[in-house]
Amino acid sequence: MTALPSAEVTRVIDQSHVDRYAVAAHDMNPIHRETSEAYAGPFGRPVAHGMMVLALVSEAMTDAVGAAWAAAGALKVRWRSPAFPPVRVTARATLKSDVDGVATYDIVCEDESGETLLTGTASARLA
Amino acid sequence: MTDPASHDPIAFDTLSRGDSLPPVALSITEADVLAYLDATGEDAARWPEHVPPIMLDALMLGVLLEQAELLPGLMHTGQEHESRRAVRIGEPITVQFTVASNSVRSGATFAVFDAEARVGDEVVATMRASVMAPPAGQTVATGVTA
Repeated sequence: MTALPSAEVTRVIDQSHVDRYAVAAHDMNPIHRETSEAYAGPFGRPVAHGMMVLALVSEAMTDAVGAAWAAAGALKVRWRSPAFPPVRVTARATLKSDVDGVATYDIVCEDESGETLLTGTASARLA
Repeated sequence: MTDPASHDPIAFDTLSRGDSLPPVALSITEADVLAYLDATGEDAARWPEHVPPIMLDALMLGVLLEQAELLPGLMHTGQEHESRRAVRIGEPITVQFTVASNSVRSGATFAVFDAEARVGDEVVATMRASVMAPPAGQTVATGVTA
Protein backbone atom coordinates (compact mmCIF):
# COMPACT_ATOMS: atom_id res chain seq x y z
CA MET A 1 0.00 0.00 0.00
CA THR A 2 1.22 3.50 -0.77
CA ALA A 3 0.88 6.22 1.83
CA LEU A 4 -2.28 8.27 1.48
CA PRO A 5 -1.81 12.06 1.55
CA SER A 6 -4.14 12.35 4.52
CA ALA A 7 -6.58 10.44 6.68
CA GLU A 8 -9.20 11.61 9.13
CA VAL A 9 -11.34 9.90 11.75
CA THR A 10 -14.17 11.61 13.65
CA ARG A 11 -16.00 10.05 16.54
CA VAL A 12 -18.09 11.08 19.51
CA ILE A 13 -16.67 10.02 22.87
CA ASP A 14 -19.30 9.95 25.59
CA GLN A 15 -19.14 8.84 29.19
CA SER A 16 -20.35 5.32 28.38
CA HIS A 17 -17.41 4.90 25.99
CA VAL A 18 -15.06 6.18 28.68
CA ASP A 19 -16.48 3.79 31.27
CA ARG A 20 -16.10 0.84 28.89
CA TYR A 21 -12.61 1.95 27.97
CA ALA A 22 -11.62 2.09 31.65
CA VAL A 23 -12.52 -1.57 32.02
CA ALA A 24 -11.03 -2.68 28.69
CA ALA A 25 -7.75 -0.85 29.25
CA HIS A 26 -7.54 -1.63 32.97
CA ASP A 27 -7.29 2.09 33.68
CA MET A 28 -9.65 2.83 36.55
CA ASN A 29 -8.18 6.23 37.37
CA PRO A 30 -11.20 7.93 39.00
CA ILE A 31 -10.62 11.24 37.17
CA HIS A 32 -12.13 9.55 34.08
CA ARG A 33 -15.39 8.48 35.66
CA GLU A 34 -18.39 9.99 37.42
CA THR A 35 -16.67 10.05 40.79
CA SER A 36 -16.18 12.55 43.55
CA GLU A 37 -12.45 12.37 42.79
CA ALA A 38 -13.12 13.56 39.22
CA TYR A 39 -15.09 16.58 40.40
CA ALA A 40 -12.50 17.38 43.06
CA GLY A 41 -9.64 16.64 40.68
CA PRO A 42 -7.48 18.71 38.38
CA PHE A 43 -10.15 19.27 35.72
CA GLY A 44 -13.17 19.65 37.97
CA ARG A 45 -15.11 16.98 36.09
CA PRO A 46 -14.52 13.64 34.34
CA VAL A 47 -12.12 13.70 31.41
CA ALA A 48 -11.71 11.09 28.69
CA HIS A 49 -8.58 8.99 28.77
CA GLY A 50 -5.93 10.58 26.60
CA MET A 51 -5.30 7.14 25.15
CA MET A 52 -8.88 7.10 23.84
CA VAL A 53 -8.11 10.20 21.80
CA LEU A 54 -4.86 8.58 20.69
CA ALA A 55 -6.81 5.52 19.55
CA LEU A 56 -8.39 7.71 16.85
CA VAL A 57 -4.89 8.65 15.67
CA SER A 58 -4.02 4.97 15.42
CA GLU A 59 -7.17 4.38 13.40
CA ALA A 60 -6.33 7.26 11.07
CA MET A 61 -2.81 5.91 10.59
CA THR A 62 -4.21 2.49 9.71
CA ASP A 63 -6.34 4.24 7.10
CA ALA A 64 -3.26 6.09 5.83
CA VAL A 65 -0.68 3.31 5.59
CA GLY A 66 -2.59 0.05 6.12
CA ALA A 67 -0.88 -2.90 7.75
CA ALA A 68 2.41 -1.00 7.92
CA TRP A 69 1.03 0.88 10.90
CA ALA A 70 0.80 -2.22 13.10
CA ALA A 71 3.99 -3.75 11.69
CA ALA A 72 6.35 -0.79 11.69
CA GLY A 73 4.60 2.31 13.00
CA ALA A 74 5.85 4.89 15.46
CA LEU A 75 4.47 8.02 17.01
CA LYS A 76 5.30 10.81 19.38
CA VAL A 77 2.45 12.94 20.69
CA ARG A 78 1.64 15.40 23.40
CA TRP A 79 -1.78 16.14 24.79
CA ARG A 80 -2.64 19.82 24.69
CA SER A 81 -6.12 20.02 26.22
CA PRO A 82 -8.46 17.65 27.99
CA ALA A 83 -11.39 16.01 26.20
CA PHE A 84 -14.55 16.31 28.27
CA PRO A 85 -17.22 13.77 27.34
CA PRO A 86 -19.43 14.00 25.45
CA VAL A 87 -17.01 15.36 22.86
CA ARG A 88 -16.76 15.01 19.09
CA VAL A 89 -13.10 14.36 18.30
CA THR A 90 -11.46 14.52 14.89
CA ALA A 91 -8.03 12.94 14.42
CA ARG A 92 -6.21 14.07 11.30
CA ALA A 93 -3.00 12.67 9.79
CA THR A 94 -1.39 14.75 7.04
CA LEU A 95 1.55 13.40 5.04
CA LYS A 96 4.66 15.46 5.71
CA SER A 97 7.26 13.37 3.91
CA ASP A 98 7.68 10.04 2.17
CA VAL A 99 11.39 9.36 2.02
CA ASP A 100 13.30 6.09 1.73
CA GLY A 101 10.18 4.07 2.36
CA VAL A 102 9.20 5.91 5.54
CA ALA A 103 6.00 7.94 5.47
CA THR A 104 5.78 10.62 8.15
CA TYR A 105 2.59 12.42 9.09
CA ASP A 106 1.73 15.47 11.12
CA ILE A 107 -0.92 14.55 13.66
CA VAL A 108 -3.56 16.73 15.23
CA CYS A 109 -6.75 15.99 17.17
CA GLU A 110 -9.40 18.65 17.69
CA ASP A 111 -12.77 18.84 19.35
CA GLU A 112 -15.91 20.21 17.71
CA SER A 113 -15.05 23.76 18.71
CA GLY A 114 -11.62 23.56 17.10
CA GLU A 115 -9.74 23.22 20.38
CA THR A 116 -6.52 21.31 19.84
CA LEU A 117 -6.47 18.19 22.01
CA LEU A 118 -3.30 16.51 20.80
CA THR A 119 -0.42 17.17 18.42
CA GLY A 120 2.55 15.17 17.23
CA THR A 121 3.98 13.07 14.46
CA ALA A 122 3.52 9.49 13.34
CA SER A 123 5.43 7.44 10.82
CA ALA A 124 5.55 4.01 9.30
CA ARG A 125 8.04 2.08 7.24
CA LEU A 126 6.15 0.93 4.18
CA ALA A 127 6.62 -2.65 3.03
CA MET B 1 -4.98 -10.34 31.24
CA THR B 2 -1.95 -9.98 33.50
CA ASP B 3 -0.38 -11.93 36.28
CA PRO B 4 -2.27 -11.38 39.52
CA ALA B 5 -0.73 -8.59 41.52
CA SER B 6 1.52 -10.18 44.08
CA HIS B 7 2.53 -7.07 45.95
CA ASP B 8 1.33 -3.63 46.93
CA PRO B 9 1.84 -0.77 44.46
CA ILE B 10 5.24 0.85 44.65
CA ALA B 11 5.20 4.29 46.29
CA PHE B 12 5.65 6.90 43.59
CA ASP B 13 8.21 8.95 45.50
CA THR B 14 10.49 5.93 45.83
CA LEU B 15 10.81 5.53 42.05
CA SER B 16 14.14 6.79 40.75
CA ARG B 17 15.69 7.14 37.32
CA GLY B 18 16.99 3.78 36.15
CA ASP B 19 14.75 1.69 38.39
CA SER B 20 13.26 -1.31 36.61
CA LEU B 21 9.87 -2.59 37.70
CA PRO B 22 9.28 -6.33 37.79
CA PRO B 23 8.39 -7.87 34.42
CA VAL B 24 4.75 -8.80 33.99
CA ALA B 25 3.20 -11.38 31.68
CA LEU B 26 0.48 -10.05 29.42
CA SER B 27 -1.79 -12.13 27.24
CA ILE B 28 -4.26 -10.30 25.02
CA THR B 29 -7.27 -12.36 24.01
CA GLU B 30 -9.74 -11.83 21.19
CA ALA B 31 -12.29 -10.82 23.82
CA ASP B 32 -9.86 -8.20 25.16
CA VAL B 33 -9.45 -6.75 21.65
CA LEU B 34 -13.20 -6.70 21.04
CA ALA B 35 -13.83 -4.93 24.35
CA TYR B 36 -11.20 -2.33 23.54
CA LEU B 37 -12.57 -1.72 20.05
CA ASP B 38 -16.10 -1.51 21.41
CA ALA B 39 -14.94 1.34 23.64
CA THR B 40 -12.88 3.16 21.01
CA GLY B 41 -15.36 2.63 18.19
CA GLU B 42 -12.92 1.22 15.65
CA ASP B 43 -14.22 -1.51 13.34
CA ALA B 44 -13.28 -4.88 14.86
CA ALA B 45 -13.16 -6.41 11.38
CA ARG B 46 -9.86 -4.60 10.87
CA TRP B 47 -8.19 -6.50 13.68
CA PRO B 48 -9.06 -10.19 13.33
CA GLU B 49 -5.51 -11.37 13.95
CA HIS B 50 -3.40 -8.61 15.43
CA VAL B 51 -3.52 -6.29 18.43
CA PRO B 52 -4.05 -2.61 17.58
CA PRO B 53 -0.71 -0.98 18.43
CA ILE B 54 -2.13 1.69 20.70
CA MET B 55 -4.18 -0.95 22.51
CA LEU B 56 -0.87 -2.59 23.39
CA ASP B 57 0.34 0.70 24.85
CA ALA B 58 -2.92 1.11 26.75
CA LEU B 59 -2.62 -2.32 28.32
CA MET B 60 1.02 -1.73 29.13
CA LEU B 61 -0.04 1.43 30.94
CA GLY B 62 -2.59 -0.70 32.76
CA VAL B 63 0.31 -2.81 33.98
CA LEU B 64 2.05 0.33 35.23
CA LEU B 65 -1.09 1.40 37.07
CA GLU B 66 -1.10 -1.97 38.82
CA GLN B 67 2.56 -1.71 39.75
CA ALA B 68 2.96 1.91 40.85
CA GLU B 69 0.99 4.04 43.23
CA LEU B 70 -1.72 6.12 41.54
CA LEU B 71 -1.16 9.72 42.58
CA PRO B 72 -4.32 11.83 42.97
CA GLY B 73 -5.05 13.69 39.74
CA LEU B 74 -2.36 11.82 37.80
CA MET B 75 -2.47 12.85 34.13
CA HIS B 76 -0.94 11.48 30.97
CA THR B 77 0.86 14.27 29.14
CA GLY B 78 2.78 12.56 26.35
CA GLN B 79 3.19 9.24 24.62
CA GLU B 80 5.73 7.68 22.29
CA HIS B 81 5.35 4.30 20.62
CA GLU B 82 7.31 2.14 18.23
CA SER B 83 6.13 -1.14 16.75
CA ARG B 84 8.89 -3.52 15.72
CA ARG B 85 6.36 -5.93 14.29
CA ALA B 86 2.63 -6.60 14.53
CA VAL B 87 1.64 -8.45 17.69
CA ARG B 88 -0.70 -11.38 17.20
CA ILE B 89 -3.68 -11.86 19.45
CA GLY B 90 -2.83 -14.44 22.11
CA GLU B 91 0.95 -14.13 21.89
CA PRO B 92 2.61 -14.39 25.31
CA ILE B 93 4.00 -10.92 25.96
CA THR B 94 6.24 -9.78 28.76
CA VAL B 95 6.11 -6.12 29.73
CA GLN B 96 8.74 -4.33 31.74
CA PHE B 97 8.87 -0.69 32.78
CA THR B 98 11.91 1.41 33.57
CA VAL B 99 11.83 4.80 35.25
CA ALA B 100 13.36 7.38 32.89
CA SER B 101 12.80 10.30 35.28
CA ASN B 102 10.80 11.25 38.35
CA SER B 103 10.93 14.66 39.97
CA VAL B 104 8.86 17.16 41.93
CA ARG B 105 8.82 20.80 40.85
CA SER B 106 6.71 23.45 42.54
CA GLY B 107 4.72 20.72 44.21
CA ALA B 108 3.87 18.93 40.97
CA THR B 109 5.21 15.48 40.14
CA PHE B 110 6.63 14.84 36.67
CA ALA B 111 7.66 11.35 35.62
CA VAL B 112 8.61 9.49 32.47
CA PHE B 113 8.41 5.72 32.09
CA ASP B 114 9.88 3.58 29.34
CA ALA B 115 8.57 0.12 28.58
CA GLU B 116 9.38 -2.79 26.34
CA ALA B 117 7.00 -5.49 25.19
CA ARG B 118 8.77 -8.76 24.42
CA VAL B 119 7.76 -12.08 22.96
CA GLY B 120 10.47 -14.35 24.25
CA ASP B 121 13.72 -12.48 23.67
CA GLU B 122 12.29 -10.40 20.82
CA VAL B 123 11.30 -6.80 21.48
CA VAL B 124 8.05 -6.30 19.58
CA ALA B 125 7.17 -2.79 20.76
CA THR B 126 8.46 0.01 22.92
CA MET B 127 6.73 2.96 24.50
CA ARG B 128 7.47 6.03 26.59
CA ALA B 129 4.79 7.63 28.75
CA SER B 130 5.06 11.04 30.36
CA VAL B 131 2.81 11.74 33.33
CA MET B 132 2.19 14.60 35.69
CA ALA B 133 0.33 15.00 38.96
CA PRO B 134 -0.54 18.54 40.05
CA PRO B 135 -0.13 19.78 43.60
CA ALA B 136 -3.03 18.70 45.77
CA GLY B 137 -6.15 20.76 45.14
CA GLN B 138 -4.87 22.49 42.02
CA THR B 139 -7.15 22.67 38.98
CA VAL B 140 -5.66 22.40 35.52
CA ALA B 141 -7.50 24.13 32.68
CA THR B 142 -5.44 23.27 29.61
CA GLY B 143 -2.01 22.13 28.55
CA VAL B 144 -2.21 18.58 29.75
CA THR B 145 -4.76 15.88 29.78
CA ALA B 146 -5.30 12.53 31.32
